[in-house]
Amino acid sequence: MSKYVDRPRFGCAMAGALGVLRAIPRAIPIIHASTGCGYNVYNGTNAGSAYLGGGYCGATSTPSSNIIEKEIVFGGEDRLEEQIKTTLEIMDGDLYVVVTGCMVEMVGDDAESVVKEFAGSENPPVIAVPTPSFKGNSYYGYDLLLEGLVKQYIVPKEKKEVRTVNILGILPGQDVLWKGNLKEIKRVLQLIGIKANTLFGEGETLQDIQHSAVASLNIIVSDVYGSLTAEAYKEIHEIPFIRTALPVGYLQTEKFLREIGGYFKIAESVIEKALESERDIYFDYVERIADIYNDVDFQRYSIVVSDANYAPSVSEFLSDELGWLPQLTVITDFLTEQQKQKLERRFEAYASGLKPTVRFDTDTSSVRRYLKDTWELDSNQRYYDSLGPSVILGSVFEKDLSDEFKYPLITISFPVTNRVIMNRAYVGFNGGITLIEDIFTTLVAGR
Amino acid sequence: MIKAVESAAPSREERLKAGIAFCGTCAKLQNSLNQKDGGCLNAANRSFSQTYGCQFTLSLGILNTIRNAVVIMHGPIGCGFCSTANVGMGKAYKQLRDPSASGLVWLSSNLDETDVISGGEKKLKEVIFYADKEFRPETIIVASSCVPALIGDDIDSILDDLQNQVTAELVPVVCEGFKTKLMATAYDAVYNGILKKLTKYPNREEHLTETDLEKQEREYQIKRTVNVFNVGSMSRADELEIERLLTALDLNVNFLPCYSASEDFSYALEAALNVSICGTHDDYYLKYINENFHIPYLIDTIPIGRKNTDRWILKIAERFGLEKEAQALIKKENEILEESLVPFRNNLRGKRVFVSGGEVRIIATAEVVQDLQMELVGLKGHHIDQFVKPVFESLKDVDDIYINIATQHPFEQVNIVNRLKPDVIIIHTGSGNITAKHGLPVFPLYGPSYNYLGYSGTYEIARRLNRIMKNSQFNKNLSKYRALPYKKEWYEKEPFAYIKEK
Repeated sequence: MSKYVDRPRFGCAMAGALGVLRAIPRAIPIIHASTGCGYNVYNGTNAGSAYLGGGYCGATSTPSSNIIEKEIVFGGEDRLEEQIKTTLEIMDGDLYVVVTGCMVEMVGDDAESVVKEFAGSENPPVIAVPTPSFKGNSYYGYDLLLEGLVKQYIVPKEKKEVRTVNILGILPGQDVLWKGNLKEIKRVLQLIGIKANTLFGEGETLQDIQHSAVASLNIIVSDVYGSLTAEAYKEIHEIPFIRTALPVGYLQTEKFLREIGGYFKIAESVIEKALESERDIYFDYVERIADIYNDVDFQRYSIVVSDANYAPSVSEFLSDELGWLPQLTVITDFLTEQQKQKLERRFEAYASGLKPTVRFDTDTSSVRRYLKDTWELDSNQRYYDSLGPSVILGSVFEKDLSDEFKYPLITISFPVTNRVIMNRAYVGFNGGITLIEDIFTTLVAGR
Repeated sequence: MIKAVESAAPSREERLKAGIAFCGTCAKLQNSLNQKDGGCLNAANRSFSQTYGCQFTLSLGILNTIRNAVVIMHGPIGCGFCSTANVGMGKAYKQLRDPSASGLVWLSSNLDETDVISGGEKKLKEVIFYADKEFRPETIIVASSCVPALIGDDIDSILDDLQNQVTAELVPVVCEGFKTKLMATAYDAVYNGILKKLTKYPNREEHLTETDLEKQEREYQIKRTVNVFNVGSMSRADELEIERLLTALDLNVNFLPCYSASEDFSYALEAALNVSICGTHDDYYLKYINENFHIPYLIDTIPIGRKNTDRWILKIAERFGLEKEAQALIKKENEILEESLVPFRNNLRGKRVFVSGGEVRIIATAEVVQDLQMELVGLKGHHIDQFVKPVFESLKDVDDIYINIATQHPFEQVNIVNRLKPDVIIIHTGSGNITAKHGLPVFPLYGPSYNYLGYSGTYEIARRLNRIMKNSQFNKNLSKYRALPYKKEWYEKEPFAYIKEK
């Protein structure tokens, strides 16, 4: 049984699913749920995801059956059927996806059989992906929706293209830098001759998703998310998958490219050449702050509060690239014991030899407690070695903590309401540069 | 004898015969409104619909502003997710009322599959104990969503059982979304919770000795005190303007419910008059207070635009025998404002305006539009009920003006805007992604950091509208390069094509 959450850093399963549909050009969601579900999710995602906006047909434009008491008593399938029919008349799209809310799931509406009535007509495809939100959060919804597409929409391809991969594990909306991150992952893989389909990255369309079964490998850049989708690809389309960490900065991206390169048996010389060129560019930029970093002592203790994708990678980046002191990392997702153990191992081999205190907790107020536990308190002794200077990398929920301890806050994970984020990334080589830019901008902002 | 508060507020389609679906002229709408039970307006709905707020999400618009309170979203993990948007701004707005106010804290009881079968009581208790211990708030508000309603959690009795085990006052707000198609039912749901737990006479220290003079002074102050029932879409600047106007009549002013602390609902029972800013919000509460605590109330127009502000002030003044003073104030205010509006009229005159949002606010804002000698070409209201009637009186020559009643539903908006070809759109939040693509200047109908109310609000609307009209390149580019999601066939149909009678 799950527990309550103090200020959740994610929405419901439907939020995760709508995040994916928001990312796919000309995909039209049809919400089968109570009136407020869609609008609630939009308001959470828009603001929390650094102003993602409603896009083509999100926000209040999202078709929704808006069921009320009557449909809960008598069943909402007729209303759904009517809504699908009218949506096809009005909304201009290439794929229509029914997602469901808690109420219709509880009363037992069968959305999957309702959409069958629209199959084979001259209409674009209409599919249903049940997203009962009492069963999981945004991360689960992302996986359900993509799994649904794999099972119902993606065209089987017997012949696979070598060195063509799909990227999974980066959640639109939940990862506030999703689009920039996907772009950079695609770019770095291209450097070693691998063609990556990120499904909904820049310039990618529904066609890319539809034909994603040509890939010979799925790469999940997440230690824990995307299982349902990867398993469905494997089972139905015979595409194997591997998991990697989310690569942030030079060192991790080098490791990532060697790992993927190794899988595809790409010549060492090709990888070396790519790395040499990128390394040169990367450290040419990093070198710029060598002066200020060393002139004024820009080493910091760090507190990272983020999800299972970002927290390990960002902590490692701070330790092994910036030469900072990772003090506390709080991973804020719902995770199984097995997943926690797996993530713990990401903190065990830092080049710096350091290891932060790692905690798993979904409650926002817990972070403060862990922070107090991790360092000896000031008991008014004559000389006190304080935890400072420090920097917090977290969400906007860490604002109060930042104010209380006077540690600057850099918002990197959901919710981020104090920044507008467009195409920037924190993964890959370019992402590392951008993260350095954002961190040190915060440190020099008062100058 | 104080009447027991009902267990939950009824839906507004039942209580007020309110409607959410209509397309036609203002004359036709007013005709329907004057028929018994709102004529054909009440039952109408759509065969194609788009998402909009439910009473749960709209309730949070008020509940999230209450000071020294923690809000528990009793439901699955997503209910109340929209609060994410209030984290930063909410704190700043609270601090405009109380500089030491802390930010918004909410918790989700996170009902899961097990709870759906076995009930949410256990989780709710755990989260209440946690909230009480961790945050020590004055008030814990429990807003309950669809799932607990369907599984039959009895929130009132769960909270009653817990009340003596916690230090915070536990306030139940029963606001499941599926109950109503009218999201404005939310206001009643919130007030229902406030009535249950917070509406009680203040625990004043008794004076052992009080001279007649002191007693008279105390009672006199109460007789000059007005509670103004604000709305979440108001700004602190709006409140200051209202306060300025009423204190000019030598009245004391309290604002509630938004940004109040829980005890403010008690102190508000020591007042001579309850005045609603917007009729759509408060009748459920003010009628109950009148019947049980004997404070008269005023629900009339909203003080937006000169005519409505004049009327609103006069109506209040009448209750205190201050008509003469009010007339003098109104005259003076109008003289100064009139002069200040001239340059804006020169720029704005004849421009075609479409106004969309809450029923009361759009009609009042349309009066400002007419005052600026712009041309009102169309209206779109979230819902319709009797409270709009007094506001309509401020408009001239609107019989043939097109009005659409739709809570959001931008698909009808695009069809209508396409026909009416306005020069500027004044609109409620929630459809910016669509409205931008008309390529027109867009002026927000409200804003919690801008002044819209009172005389200064009229000036601010004029000033900002004039500014916004100066450059709409941002939206023009979007309209050119980003498509709307509606098929071209839709624009050829009548805007009411998907409205059905039942």
